[in-house]
Amino acid sequence: MPYHEFECSKCIPERKKHAVVKGHGEDLTSALPLGYLNTIPGTISERGCAYCGAKHVIGTPMKDVIHLSHGPLGCTYDTWQTKRYISDNDNFQIKYTFATDMKEKNVVFGAEKLLKQNILEAFKAFPKIKRMTIYQTCASALIGDDLNAIAAEVMEEMPEVDIFVCNSPGFGGPSQSGGHHKINIAWVNQKVGTLEPKEITSDYVINYVGEYNIQGDQEVMMDFFKRMGVQVLSTFTGNGTYDDLRCMHRAQLNVLECARSAEYICNELRVRYGIPRLDIDGFGFEPLGNSLRKIGLFFGIEDRAQAIIDEETARWKPELDWYKARLMHKKVCLWPGGSKLWHWAHVIHAEMGVDVVSVYTKFGHQGDMEKGISRCEEGALAIDDPNELEGLEAMETLEPDIIFTGKRPGEVAKKIRVPYLNAHAYHNGPWKGWEGWVRFARDIYNAIFSPIHELAKLDISKDEIPGDCGFKTQRMLSDANLPDEVRNDPTLRQYTGKFDCLKDLRGKTYPVFERKTAAAPAAAAV
Amino acid sequence: MDETKSNPEPLDEVTAGRLAQLEDYIMKNCLWQFHSRSWDRRVQNEGILSKTTQILCGEPVDTGTPLDRCHWADAVVMAEEFQRRCPWLTEMPKDEVKALMDALHKHLDYILIDGSLNLELTDQHY
Ligand code: SF4
Repeated sequence: MPYHEFECSKCIPERKKHAVVKGHGEDLTSALPLGYLNTIPGTISERGCAYCGAKHVIGTPMKDVIHLSHGPLGCTYDTWQTKRYISDNDNFQIKYTFATDMKEKNVVFGAEKLLKQNILEAFKAFPKIKRMTIYQTCASALIGDDLNAIAAEVMEEMPEVDIFVCNSPGFGGPSQSGGHHKINIAWVNQKVGTLEPKEITSDYVINYVGEYNIQGDQEVMMDFFKRMGVQVLSTFTGNGTYDDLRCMHRAQLNVLECARSAEYICNELRVRYGIPRLDIDGFGFEPLGNSLRKIGLFFGIEDRAQAIIDEETARWKPELDWYKARLMHKKVCLWPGGSKLWHWAHVIHAEMGVDVVSVYTKFGHQGDMEKGISRCEEGALAIDDPNELEGLEAMETLEPDIIFTGKRPGEVAKKIRVPYLNAHAYHNGPWKGWEGWVRFARDIYNAIFSPIHELAKLDISKDEIPGDCGFKTQRMLSDANLPDEVRNDPTLRQYTGKFDCLKDLRGKTYPVFERKTAAAPAAAAV
Repeated sequence: MDETKSNPEPLDEVTAGRLAQLEDYIMKNCLWQFHSRSWDRRVQNEGILSKTTQILCGEPVDTGTPLDRCHWADAVVMAEEFQRRCPWLTEMPKDEVKALMDALHKHLDYILIDGSLNLELTDQHY
């Protein structure tokens, strides 16, 4: 087994089995690190807690809901400033954040009364919102508050409201992934099947699962689905509504994007309701095209998918290739939380020309590493649940041109003059769709060839500051070694889309396709 | 050693090279083979690889149930990609295609299930 031992982690020997180098001829039976285990004492992990995984990743992207944490205020830290799962209802779900603000006295005397008072106050403050999710935290779990009982009491007193309770305290798993699991199962147990869809408008009905509308990704994908005449009954959960998600049992197909965070609900829907699960890639020209084709094939409308592929590819390929020519063989550390390590590993290499020298995952399972290692090229260093020192050591030895990671490790990278892009929340997203993929390439280009970053590499306390040359522009940096025919290729161009590429989508009208079956009452439509 | 856990018999050089090309496509571009439990992976491998074989051999494919249709959608795209990337496949006699796909199936069962180092595959629950 090609394990990799970090110098900085020699004092924590258990860490050795959490990193491997994918060598020549290695396959998954010989190169796979351990994963999804409790963090080893002594290693300072970058993971989040199980409450965070349930609430901040999966629950809160639901847009028409009061999301209430039952615990100390600090648990709700991740909101507007760190999360970018936007919505088309003015971002209600991240603009307002709710917590019961538990204090020591509540720990001693219980906090159920406090919870009830908070629920009533929140509904009163936002009278148009009739749906709520409540999240247990470490403190409320340890004192044994019965969240379900309080929620039931309120629902009895206020029949117009509906409340979902998620019992996933911070300690409920090795990482945020434990919380993903818990909220998936809780939702399917408590809410799926409790409501019927208002209207089935198409012969082709899907749930779009494991999509969180980061900077508008879901809205971009919805545009494709609408152009294909596919009805998206619910999105789990980005830009999704609470009531739509109660109707998930009525879809014909679950289209699964982030299997790491949402395969559980797809598996349960398959077992309980016989709805098959189709895993897709929404990133990259070819993977996205093939994903739409598969959905089209499932319903027998693949020509509609092909029309989108042809149109989008013709529009955006010259722009992607402009960046590809300039990003060739730039070294990337692909260090996201979970699914992006495999969503991106092969396609940024194939379509943007960059070389992935390392993949890591903070909370992924061994299954994610199987996908990531399979998809990256030989020689890549794969790390499970890295600590900060290992990240630094890897950057020093691998000398990447850029890393894609979260904002906390990203700030660490900046200190050693490695530019980073925010893999979770993005820089100038959306990054899904054909246009989004060009926006991602542009963000990579802007980060690697930033003139300011170039200046930052000089340390004025010791480096000689060149006084004989002017300020270098991006193009001077990126085009320095390009052959003339590429530099001046008239068929290629930089991104020409709009600053806000979602605005037009929100007001767009779509073709109406004739239905094969007469519109039936929703409940009997499947 | 448990019989089911050993790597399938070694193949001749040409077959091994061809199998490696098909495997490389699947492992880099597909996701269907990575369901989270052994029993799921076996269902996926069987469903999608057998349908891909039928498509490559021009035989009828059963698309009767939603699961069949889902497997078939993955299989259609994969068969097309195989033919695009491996021109030798279109000239291969049917029985050789079947033998190659069978070897691929056995190999994938080994690296993804029986020889896998993924400790979660045998978890009894999702
Ligand atoms: S670990 Fe516990 S206390 Fe900390 S944020 Fe998570 S739920 Fe709150």
